[in-house]
Amino acid sequence: MQHVTLIKKTKFQKNAVVDQFVKALLFSFALLASSFIFIVAGVILVKGVTPFFSDNNGLGSVNFFKFLTGNTWLIGESFHSNLYSIGFIIVSTMFIAFLSLFLSFPIGVLTALFIAKIAPKKLAELLRTVIEILASIPSIIYGLFGAGIVLKIVYDLSAMFGYQSKGGNSILSSVIVLAIMTIPTIASISEVAIRSVDKTLEHGSLALGASKMQTNFKVVLAAAKSGIFTSAILGIGRVLGEATAVSLVAGGRRSGYSFNILDTTSTLTTIMLEGMKETTGLDYDIRFSVGIILMVVILLTNLILNAVKRRVGNVNVK
Amino acid sequence: MKKLMLYVVLAFVLTLAACTTEEEFNTDSSITVYTRDTTSGTRAGFMAGIGFAEAETSDSVLVEGFVIKDNTGIMTAMTTDEFGIGYVSLSSVNNTIKGLSFDGVAPTVANVINDTYGLKRPFMWMTRDAGDYPSTQVEQLVNAFVAFLGTTDAGDIIDNNGAIALPSSVTWDSIKANYPITALDNSAVTVRFGGSDSIQKVAQALTQAFTAKAGNFVAEHDHTGSGDAYKRTNDAAVKDTSVGKDVGFASRYFKDSEKVGVETTQMGQLAWDAIVAIVHLNNPLENVTAEDLKKIYEGTFMKWSDLISE
Repeated sequence: MQHVTLIKKTKFQKNAVVDQFVKALLFSFALLASSFIFIVAGVILVKGVTPFFSDNNGLGSVNFFKFLTGNTWLIGESFHSNLYSIGFIIVSTMFIAFLSLFLSFPIGVLTALFIAKIAPKKLAELLRTVIEILASIPSIIYGLFGAGIVLKIVYDLSAMFGYQSKGGNSILSSVIVLAIMTIPTIASISEVAIRSVDKTLEHGSLALGASKMQTNFKVVLAAAKSGIFTSAILGIGRVLGEATAVSLVAGGRRSGYSFNILDTTSTLTTIMLEGMKETTGLDYDIRFSVGIILMVVILLTNLILNAVKRRVGNVNVK
Repeated sequence: MKKLMLYVVLAFVLTLAACTTEEEFNTDSSITVYTRDTTSGTRAGFMAGIGFAEAETSDSVLVEGFVIKDNTGIMTAMTTDEFGIGYVSLSSVNNTIKGLSFDGVAPTVANVINDTYGLKRPFMWMTRDAGDYPSTQVEQLVNAFVAFLGTTDAGDIIDNNGAIALPSSVTWDSIKANYPITALDNSAVTVRFGGSDSIQKVAQALTQAFTAKAGNFVAEHDHTGSGDAYKRTNDAAVKDTSVGKDVGFASRYFKDSEKVGVETTQMGQLAWDAIVAIVHLNNPLENVTAEDLKKIYEGTFMKWSDLISE
């Protein structure tokens, strides 16, 4: 009897030791994974804040207020001036993000509604696969598509209406390319949300005499709004973070506020990307500062949208 | 049904009517200005050539609303944008766009070499004083490299990398006997190259080919600007510091202040870099002057009618 208890006790101890060891290992992995965000944010913060406080090799520190509100990327010669500002770029980034969401959100959500509720099973399967493939295409491909086809279409279309565009490089082209990129993202996430709406809600509405379309729009979409909002948040995240695709169609605007959709433009991401490989000194460090502003913009947008999502409310979907 | 048919026919007719291309070039349209990024050597060469040196590294003096593209971007833009104007290096020009004559001279390689085409800049090299090298092997390798620059082998490499080589008739094989150092194993020898960053691509291609022919010496490249070509090879204050170089390149002629104390055998030209102003094939413009281009890029000429008289 004692012999058996002894064996049980050692086995228990051994398991306990293994448990502790695995717990510690998993904790260290979690720590490693989460520390990357701090390392990345830390490096960007440190490098991005230095242009405002250091002398920048004799050029003088950059004025933070002017940096946030000015309307010219750089006044003066490159490598000889510290007069950087991105005020007009912040405005045009938000403008482009808003416009592309305005274009892609209805199309994405209505596509999702079609796939989830209206399409026959086989067609729905096919469309779901197509949307998933589209969502995983690398953004440089969309950029090349934009540079090759969208530019020409926008140029010809604007000429047809009597407006002159700069070879197609415009806010309109960037918005079209970004919308094409975010429609699959919004559609696939909204589709999951719509599919998981409780069938009893739908049946209840139909039983009360509503038509199928009325049910779809007034009950199903309303019940899935939490998931649909999430897809909008992810969509806008993708739009704000897109660099390569937009840089091929934007035109590289370097000064001046403009809301004319046929005018060239710059976004926070493209201004960081353009010229980065051949530049040094303050011109290189200032891109980290633009990166900080970009992270702040994305953070603020996410916070605001999440707050709205919580206010809009949740319907129990299970 | 009839109404539907009517609408379909109307839409079809309208799209057909819209699809007919305008044959007449509309001179009332605005000029869309395309340029390279401020870090581009081609931009520096173009702006210097038209007398607009302030715009070499500054975007704020250019006309508002310009479009920034890279070399191929400007080429493709000129094939679609009827009202655009841009500039590219001569080696990129093909028959999908129209290259403009500069001051009446057509942009061809022949005209660059006989020095009649004006929108170009020279690629120059400069070496240290004789006897001023870290070792005799480095000096002999540098002399061999300079001789290599004048051969057809180097000419091919230069042409393949976007510049225009000066005409030559010598092959490396016919002169390599004069440089016995190239037959030895030089893998322990380092030769330092520097100067203009616009020439970096050509310089690296040349050294890559030459090290294979000269005993695999180590070619160290550190390109920081044309001004450093003289400073790091012959300026007493800099040449013996850690940044000193054995061969310096510059994308402009050497200034008089840089020729002080430098023998004529220590400097020379290795290539031309010609830049061509290009427009769409439908554009009736054939020739521009430096004055015209400067006015376009600074914003004095805003419409095509300013430049093209009916």
